Amino acid sequence: MVYSKKSPALFVIGLIMLAIWYLGDSGMMNGYIEHLGGKKYKYLGEITSLPLYFGLISAAFGLLQWLGPQKEGDWDYFTSAIAGAMFILIIAMLVRWFVAPEIAVWSKAMGKVGDTGKYIHKLLGLNYIVIGIVAGIIIVNVFKVPHWAENGVRLSRLGLKTGVILLGTLYSAAELKNLGGLSIIMIGFFVLGSVGMVLWLGARRNIPNSMGGVLSAGMGVCGVSATVASAPVVQAKSVEIAYTIGTILLWGVGCMFLFPIIGQLLGMSYVQFGAWAGTGILNSAQVAGAALAFQPDGIETLKVAEIFNITRVLILPIIVLWLAVWYVKREQTGEAVNVGRVIIDKFPLFVLGFILLFALSTTGIFSPPVHYKGKYFDNTKVKPKNMMTDEQIATLTANADKVQRADQKAALARLIEGRKIASIEDDATVRGLVNSRVMGKESGAILKKAHKAVRWTAPKIKAFRKWITWLFAFGLVGLGMQITISSMKQAGGQPAIIGGIVGFTKAALSLVVVMMFIKETI
Amino acid sequence: MNPGQNVLLASHGTDGAKAAELMALELCEQGGHVHHLIVVPTLWKGMTGDDWLNNGKTRNTFRRYLEDQLSAECDEHIKRVKTAAEAHDLRYTSEVIVGEPDECLEKTSTRKSFDLIVMGSPRPKGKSGLRSRMQTKKIHKLSTPIYIVPYPDE
Amino acid sequence: MPEDFERGSSLSLFKSDRLEDILALAFALIIATAVYFTYE
Repeated sequence: MVYSKKSPALFVIGLIMLAIWYLGDSGMMNGYIEHLGGKKYKYLGEITSLPLYFGLISAAFGLLQWLGPQKEGDWDYFTSAIAGAMFILIIAMLVRWFVAPEIAVWSKAMGKVGDTGKYIHKLLGLNYIVIGIVAGIIIVNVFKVPHWAENGVRLSRLGLKTGVILLGTLYSAAELKNLGGLSIIMIGFFVLGSVGMVLWLGARRNIPNSMGGVLSAGMGVCGVSATVASAPVVQAKSVEIAYTIGTILLWGVGCMFLFPIIGQLLGMSYVQFGAWAGTGILNSAQVAGAALAFQPDGIETLKVAEIFNITRVLILPIIVLWLAVWYVKREQTGEAVNVGRVIIDKFPLFVLGFILLFALSTTGIFSPPVHYKGKYFDNTKVKPKNMMTDEQIATLTANADKVQRADQKAALARLIEGRKIASIEDDATVRGLVNSRVMGKESGAILKKAHKAVRWTAPKIKAFRKWITWLFAFGLVGLGMQITISSMKQAGGQPAIIGGIVGFTKAALSLVVVMMFIKETI
Repeated sequence: MNPGQNVLLASHGTDGAKAAELMALELCEQGGHVHHLIVVPTLWKGMTGDDWLNNGKTRNTFRRYLEDQLSAECDEHIKRVKTAAEAHDLRYTSEVIVGEPDECLEKTSTRKSFDLIVMGSPRPKGKSGLRSRMQTKKIHKLSTPIYIVPYPDE
Repeated sequence: MPEDFERGSSLSLFKSDRLEDILALAFALIIATAVYFTYE
């Protein structure tokens, strides 16, 4: 079978990418970019580089596949995936660079919503990730994935896995330890709780054991993935599978939109939201989606949520084993369970990749450990334009006597003398001074600026973040193309009722736990 | 209703389809031919949804399991109708297609000439089963007469 | 159900998932190396 299609589509995608690059690079797009936010528009750097590389690749392979000879084989098979990959990529590009910023412009024009103090797009989490997933869902359900793209859409999981593995570079050992502990406690409690609750409710409502089995796995661990893993084990009927998967998909997609909204309204911190999404959302792809929807440009939430995801993946074989034993006992049929076999078969190898990259990064080859928590302190490379001006010094001197505490006084004196914050201890003190607001608004703003001038994000960390967001965006748009409405429509029957009850309880309870017990950052 | 010599029975496993099966056998003339079309809806292909965590082996086990389940269900339908048809002294053929129910019916009905199409009515609310309709606008345009059998409980 | 693809599965381009995992790791390492040498 020849997989590459004789279609001009890939070539056209290449031309569109090159056109975007040309318009961006030559400055012809400046008017539009001004409209999208001018100086605040962050993506110009990407527009003037990425579409050039990918546009050239697309155009070259596009021409070759369109007009060149076709020959069966590995080369044909793997290069045929380029069309679909570029199809996903151009959607991600258009959404990230133009659609999402355009929506932000509209939303800002409409003003802030009521007394929440937030714009609609922020509140609804309408950023490029969410819009990209929606675009994927619309494409598969309304237009169908085009023939020439089908082969490449199957690459989306590879993108996600690469993203997860690469994410390993962004944790410090302390973070991983704390987050890992937290996730094991939360997931352990809620997974066991919801599996138990489904089985209990199922027994009360007299559903067949096989239905209870698939549903409990789906509600407890990773949604569709767990259903897929456990259906053969508990010998579920086809309608039971359809009901369960429909319910989980519908619930999961709903959660992906609802969770970020609730998180914004409650003003949750990154760790709180990541932990909540990681526990409360059933389907693991949607956990990543919600985390990125909550915080599209940073990666702190995703870092927390993915640790929870990985914990769930590791728990999955245990649940499948448990269900197998439970089912065999109940039904007195089925084959004996081979524990070793199940664990080896189900073990997700990419988690080892994550651990490997984490191990690499703890050696400090990418960045010293202090850089991992976000911005780090360094006052040796403050840019001249960020040094304090005479005017600013004057303002600070005028307000200096309002400061009472001796340490704050000393830090302020050093700042005025050196025109920049002198040490990391001073930086913390100055931050406290800003928060206490004793010096008035104007001085507060100046101090904040001085603080920002000595805080840096390591370039390597920044680069990793960018790669990771792109890989996740790619994977999630592709996965969106695999969510069919016809399968979501199958939600129904007892699974919909039991799933609704358990899903809601789990989301609500985990929200309470997160709000009560998780305070500040990692 | 004129009985037919060549009856196309369309079902894809709902309860209503069983009523249609009986009616098709009634309506078919002695010595006639019943062609049984079973459609496995394409929605099953979306049943692995956005799963990305399972490894290929698990997913293949699931697919094989699901295929076995579905084909066992189809075999069961075929066996049941075949036995009944033979009791009525009718010639029985069957085919199983994966696709959109309405499209498959349209294709099959135009490929061979049938005197009559018999199908069940849509599943009423509250009855268990898949959500996948065969009766759509496309079907109403077919030139072959269609007999839609009422749902058994009503 | 008929297969859409003679190779791989409906969700993955690769025959075995182990291969997909290993490729994902390879890509991640390539990106990491690129980042390591490009940025100071």
